[in-house]
Amino acid sequence: MRRFAFPILLSLLAAGAAHAQPVNVPVLVPLTGFLSLEGTSQRNGALLALKQAPAGLTVAADVVDTGTSPEAAVTALERAAGKPVTAVVASMLGTQMLAMLPLAKDYGLPLVTVSGTASITEQGNPWVFRFFPGDAVTKAAHARYVVEDLGRKRPAVIYQTTAYGQGGKAQLMEQFQKLGATPVFEEGVDTSAKDLLPVITKALAANPDVLVLHLHSAPTALFIRQAAAHGVGVPIVAGSAMHQPSTAALLEPAELKGVCAETAASPVSGGSPEVEAFTAAYRGAFNAEPDAFALAQYDGVRMVLDAAAKGARTAEQVRDALAKGTHKGLAMTYASDGKGNMAHSAVIVCYDGKTRVPALVKRYDSLTGAVK
Amino acid sequence: MRSVLASGAVALIAYALLYASPYGLRVLTVAGVYALAATGFQLVFGLAGALSLAHGAFFGVGAYATGILGSQLGWSFPATFPVSLALPVLLALLVGLPVLRLESHYFALATLGIAQVVLLLAVNTPDLTGGANGLAGVPGIAAFGATLPRGLPLAAAVWAIVALGGLLAWRLARGRWGRALTLLRDDPLAAAALGLDVGRLRLQAFALSALYAGAAGALAVHTQRVVSPEVLEFPVMVSILTIAVVGGRGRVAGAVLGALLLIHLPEWFRFLERSYLILYGGALLAAIVLAPHGLTGLLERLLPPKPRPPPAPLPLPAPAVADGPVLRVEGLAKAFGGVRAVDGVSFTLQSSRITGLIGPNGSGKTTVINLLSGLERPDAGRVDLLGRDLSGARADRIARAGIARTFQSAGLPEDSTVLEAVAAARLERDASIATAEAHALSVLARLGVADRARERCGTLPAGLRRRVELARALARQPRVLLLDEPAAGLTDAEKAELSGHLRAIAADGVAVLVVEHDMGFLLPLADRVLALDQGRVLYDGAPAGVPHDPAVVEAYLGAPA
Repeated sequence: MRRFAFPILLSLLAAGAAHAQPVNVPVLVPLTGFLSLEGTSQRNGALLALKQAPAGLTVAADVVDTGTSPEAAVTALERAAGKPVTAVVASMLGTQMLAMLPLAKDYGLPLVTVSGTASITEQGNPWVFRFFPGDAVTKAAHARYVVEDLGRKRPAVIYQTTAYGQGGKAQLMEQFQKLGATPVFEEGVDTSAKDLLPVITKALAANPDVLVLHLHSAPTALFIRQAAAHGVGVPIVAGSAMHQPSTAALLEPAELKGVCAETAASPVSGGSPEVEAFTAAYRGAFNAEPDAFALAQYDGVRMVLDAAAKGARTAEQVRDALAKGTHKGLAMTYASDGKGNMAHSAVIVCYDGKTRVPALVKRYDSLTGAVK
Repeated sequence: MRSVLASGAVALIAYALLYASPYGLRVLTVAGVYALAATGFQLVFGLAGALSLAHGAFFGVGAYATGILGSQLGWSFPATFPVSLALPVLLALLVGLPVLRLESHYFALATLGIAQVVLLLAVNTPDLTGGANGLAGVPGIAAFGATLPRGLPLAAAVWAIVALGGLLAWRLARGRWGRALTLLRDDPLAAAALGLDVGRLRLQAFALSALYAGAAGALAVHTQRVVSPEVLEFPVMVSILTIAVVGGRGRVAGAVLGALLLIHLPEWFRFLERSYLILYGGALLAAIVLAPHGLTGLLERLLPPKPRPPPAPLPLPAPAVADGPVLRVEGLAKAFGGVRAVDGVSFTLQSSRITGLIGPNGSGKTTVINLLSGLERPDAGRVDLLGRDLSGARADRIARAGIARTFQSAGLPEDSTVLEAVAAARLERDASIATAEAHALSVLARLGVADRARERCGTLPAGLRRRVELARALARQPRVLLLDEPAAGLTDAEKAELSGHLRAIAADGVAVLVVEHDMGFLLPLADRVLALDQGRVLYDGAPAGVPHDPAVVEAYLGAPA
């Protein structure tokens, strides 16, 4: 019931507002399929930001499930474009983003996303804005933590055979090469794999000094559980999927002991009164734990709303504000690198084995070098 | 029914021209893409009855051909589209030869395996396909320097191709080829025994379906402007299968109606966020329960088509026949594992003579008929029809050479009319369906069942089914007619009538071999009797000698009490 109430609630909030033209931000995200958990975080972050819109703004938001097919995403965007649109919260799935980009350019609609797929900002399309650090940023932090902080030089890289996995793996390999580390093992894992012990065994046979994961949520949890069950002593540094509370919920705290992960942010870990307030509001609104995707999407929509509050009314004005402005968000400070990459920071979180809430152990700012 | 479909088409065009928003036109365009894919699927699944789970892969191959050539090499539509048609067809021909031999569920699994291999190739060859991300920057439909804008022009282009493809498929489905596929779907053994090259027909349907899938994939990519592994994933296949089933299996109109409904349905419920899946599933379930034969079946039930007037009977030309031996069988042998079902059987069938084949159950009678008609391959021996060696030949070649047969349990397609069932025997000989039906009607008239021509085979009593099956075999104008227990289940009056017909058929110069257990029916009918036991000839002589032959009595008839 709550999800149907949101558009109505948002309209009521704005009742009596001075501006006649509403700020319309359709939310086109994957709510079903293999990215439903992350897509729901994206949706929730966007809706929370709209709920907390600056006073005086009339806001409206239709939420549409894009599933996981590019076709559904493009159709959803075409549907949304039937009304005046200020900006679009666009799917975090890279293949959907790539499909939506030409249409967004035709219609002149800013796409505000948290997709990590590197190539979406390499298409020369001025209408895309990514508020989640791209693979170039997060994998730079990932590799630097492994090499510079842990002092490991013989990583085993296990990645997913999806767009997310292949893109991240390519970035990891490049970063390791820059840092003088040579992976001793690399293998792709299908999302349908139900037993990762064979790949763990093969990886350990290569005698690595660290296991570097770049897997989706459920495979990450499965890998860590099986590694813990077999007493693997080699440290594990996982991808951003690990930081998600929904991933940690699949594991016992003891299984997480010593595991670290890269991410854009970890709102449940706190860090500032503003982030703690966000986390509390999120829990209150959705009865769920927020993750970095929710926070990044919240920050992205807040930047759109701030621009609108400062007078940007048309999609083109909002695009200009996003392209040229700077926004101090909760996770980091956002500014475009000229291609629409707004996020340039990443953090490392680690689990102590006693709780499922990780601690922030390292922050990397001003990371650059989006590489296709 | 046709007027309803025509009205629907006019309404659809009016909606597209006058009312549809850009969003509505996009959904309509996507529906067109799936209608085209499902039309192809109707050929292989609906008509030929082969559950090809590679159809989604062919869709994806067509999509990738256009995606790669368009985005990486800058080719335009006139060059990419033919490649998107040709590549899936080539793939279908390549894989079709081995997998089309498999039985239904093994065929489905094998084609699913093909789809998985193609998907893995797409994901794991990023230099060519863009890997899991796919390739962006696919151009729209462009030719001669002009690009078709999205919206109405793109929707019109896609639906024009759907109309062309649909018309071609409709004509094929209504013609001899479509009838042959339907027969093959309902009973592949009977189809082969009626002279149809089952393997060639299946391969043709498989390849043609791939052509449609490739075209649909190409149009999908022009619509989306990106190509990614999702076009090869199972949901595409499931969508096409669901469209075919909900629309009406084997019907072109079903593919179009199914696509329009199933592509629009989720959009109508999209405002419910993820809950739309529940309503979508419920609506699908309701459609299948309320219309088990699909939307076209429902329309036909509500608006039954007018029966076509029967064709004027066209007598079959009398073949030139000569007296004497027609079929020589020498040393025929067949073993199933350690069981020697037929063990060195030799005999000759004479023109205008009826030969009875008797023996206890398991003695090898039906196996002999199966060997003679090509449904089984002999281990040894020679079969010679009028000087032509048919040993080990395929069933359809044997049938075309002049041997026809009936089956122990009359294998008539339940949903076909009597006329359609008998006309099926003429498909590989006559130039058109009309001629085949006219010939079939003359054969039915000869056997006294012309008045039942428009009835469904499934509604006929056993006696009439036997006679219709005999008519189907006769419509082949055979030189040799093999009948497997033709009197089983008949009343005495029906048996007497059958005897009369068989004598008349033999009198026309046909060599008739009758497998029968009913000695009261067979012995007065036959000119000669062969008795088998354990695969060997026990007796070969006059019918009158059968009851007195000690070996036949011991092995088969038993001593009188």
